[in-house]
Amino acid sequence: MKVLVINSGSSSLKYQLYDMTTEAVLAKGMVERIGMDSSILTHKPTGKEPVTEVSEILEHNTAIRKVLDKLTDKVSGVLESIDEIQAVGHRVVHGGEYFKASSLVDAQAKEEVRKLIDLAPLHNPAAMMGINATEANMPGVPQVVVFDTAFHQTMPEKAYLYPIPRVLYNKYKVRRYGAHGTSHHYVSQKAAEFLGKPIESLKIITCHIGNGASLTAVEGGVSIDTSMGMTPLEGLMMGTRSGDLDPAIVPYVMNKEDLTVNEVNSMLNKHSGLLAISGISSDMREITDGMANGEPNATLAFQMYEYRLRKYIGSYAAAMNGVDAIVFTAGVGENSIIVREKVCENLTYLGVELDKSLNAVRSDDPRRISSATSKVEVLVVPTNEELVIARDTYRLVNEQL
Amino acid sequence: MKFTKIGLVGVGTVGQGIAEMLAKSGLEVHMLEDSGEKLDAAIATISNGLDKQIEKWGITSSEKKLILGRLRRAESVEDMASCQLVIESTTEEIDNKKIIIRKLDEICSPEVILASTTSTLSLTELAGACTHPERIIGMHFLIPMTEIDVVEVVRGIRTSDETIQNARSFLEETLHKKGIQVYESPGLVTTRLICILINEAVAVLAEGIATAEDIDASMRDGYDFKYGPLEMCDRFGLDSVNAALSRMFKEYGELKYRPNYLLKKMVRAGQFGVKTGEGFFRYNKDGVRV
Repeated sequence: MKVLVINSGSSSLKYQLYDMTTEAVLAKGMVERIGMDSSILTHKPTGKEPVTEVSEILEHNTAIRKVLDKLTDKVSGVLESIDEIQAVGHRVVHGGEYFKASSLVDAQAKEEVRKLIDLAPLHNPAAMMGINATEANMPGVPQVVVFDTAFHQTMPEKAYLYPIPRVLYNKYKVRRYGAHGTSHHYVSQKAAEFLGKPIESLKIITCHIGNGASLTAVEGGVSIDTSMGMTPLEGLMMGTRSGDLDPAIVPYVMNKEDLTVNEVNSMLNKHSGLLAISGISSDMREITDGMANGEPNATLAFQMYEYRLRKYIGSYAAAMNGVDAIVFTAGVGENSIIVREKVCENLTYLGVELDKSLNAVRSDDPRRISSATSKVEVLVVPTNEELVIARDTYRLVNEQL
Repeated sequence: MKFTKIGLVGVGTVGQGIAEMLAKSGLEVHMLEDSGEKLDAAIATISNGLDKQIEKWGITSSEKKLILGRLRRAESVEDMASCQLVIESTTEEIDNKKIIIRKLDEICSPEVILASTTSTLSLTELAGACTHPERIIGMHFLIPMTEIDVVEVVRGIRTSDETIQNARSFLEETLHKKGIQVYESPGLVTTRLICILINEAVAVLAEGIATAEDIDASMRDGYDFKYGPLEMCDRFGLDSVNAALSRMFKEYGELKYRPNYLLKKMVRAGQFGVKTGEGFFRYNKDGVRV
């Protein structure tokens, strides 16, 4: 079965086409600047020359049509006909409390995704556009929605509720939902496989640290707590996001600087984090370069980032009363040797012992970076959210058949 | 109706605010002015304003680039033919506006909405210059456009239901602003009410009842306004408030709209408020009170 995975943003659309018999990627690419007269389509067929095309793509419908054209193109295509695509999987940011797992798209699912626009005003409308555009271009092809929040739906009430008036949860569903669920789920399973132990017996802390970053406490294979909250602003210090802060800072700063709600939102989401402290960049590579050059603000930014990350690991070890494995994944987690090193250096009280030479190895495979005598396994597991979406889609569509 | 390209004729203070707000909403804005220099100046002002917002963390520098990239220079009124909506935002001169609306009516296909930002001139009179008066509508945006989420949608006598409906769905779905339907009348709701308040505040000042500072503090703090009435007047422009009051006075014939003599005197002295650096209060070139 061939499965197309789609990740729709408000003005972009990423795609990957899988052959599920071998889980091979046949092609991937993206459409950027949807809504403009100079939209860019980049198509990368496996084993063939990549193609870039600039044209007017005003909405998602046209974007999907162009993608399908490319997939069946004489030169750059990988399919004889679009009929070969037997299922389409969509990444959806917010599944609210309704979606505890991936789901086939039907009228009810669409209605529920639409209802959640209030909680994810930037992301869920884009996903809806992707679903509708797929339906228009590929009528009858089954679709599946895979949610960033679904994996965290196992969190107990004590972890997902905020200590604020309960009426806000009852009326507006103000609670912790978390994010990167697909990734946390995938790397925790991979880690258990790698360790050759049943996941039910393991306490794992997964660190998905990329431009956005979140930690999850995975106990017995389920998420029991995660650092992102109702929105992806809570938790760790990130590239441009503040992460945790005293909520009283918000009204105080709004008052002092005469800021609007939009301005303070933008300040915390886009002008904070590594960028704010370093004054250089939101990118960890540039921060570590700056640190190597003795740049004091880059050094401070790194120290704060590492310190806050390590505090969260400590708190999740406390939440689970122990930890068997710490897993690093995503851009920074998979590639920053120094972030992993500094975090582990000060976790010796947990029994963490890093093997510096293993930590320095670069690879696309899951690997151990802790020493043979370490009481806690420390792993690097490259994430693959698209593959999880493809697998869920394949499984749900097969079950239906 | 899907809106992607909006025409904007006249990029003065109001036009600049509209252009920025539309571009921020992801729309392409085709701007027309009398001269290339005026257009350059308008784009430079918008760009400076965006820099101020970066300083206040409101946007990022890449967002600024995207916003400026959506502002297009129209060479002539003919360039408006490809837009789904054209907003006329020239100075409040009925004869000039009529010429523009008539020209737009000639070149734009009949389903294109033609909107005017006037709050005091007659839409029906403007529509009278057109072969398709049913597509003429008023859209009165309030300053600062990017922050105020209410727009008065003005119905002239011949504006069609369809035009109203399309305009409201544009405001609500594309710009996420609330459209308030108002029937054509001088000053609409907002200008009519606020000008009376401002004029009365000027009268209180002129009568020596309280200082400008205290008048503003009473109303600002007492009734939870963002600005007091005199600072509001400085921000709108004393000349604009005076002109709006004069037109309402002429139209309604009621004394309550007669501009206070102090307001007229200050306008004659060229004290227009923020734009000249001096009105009831003093301002620096960034419009911050000093």
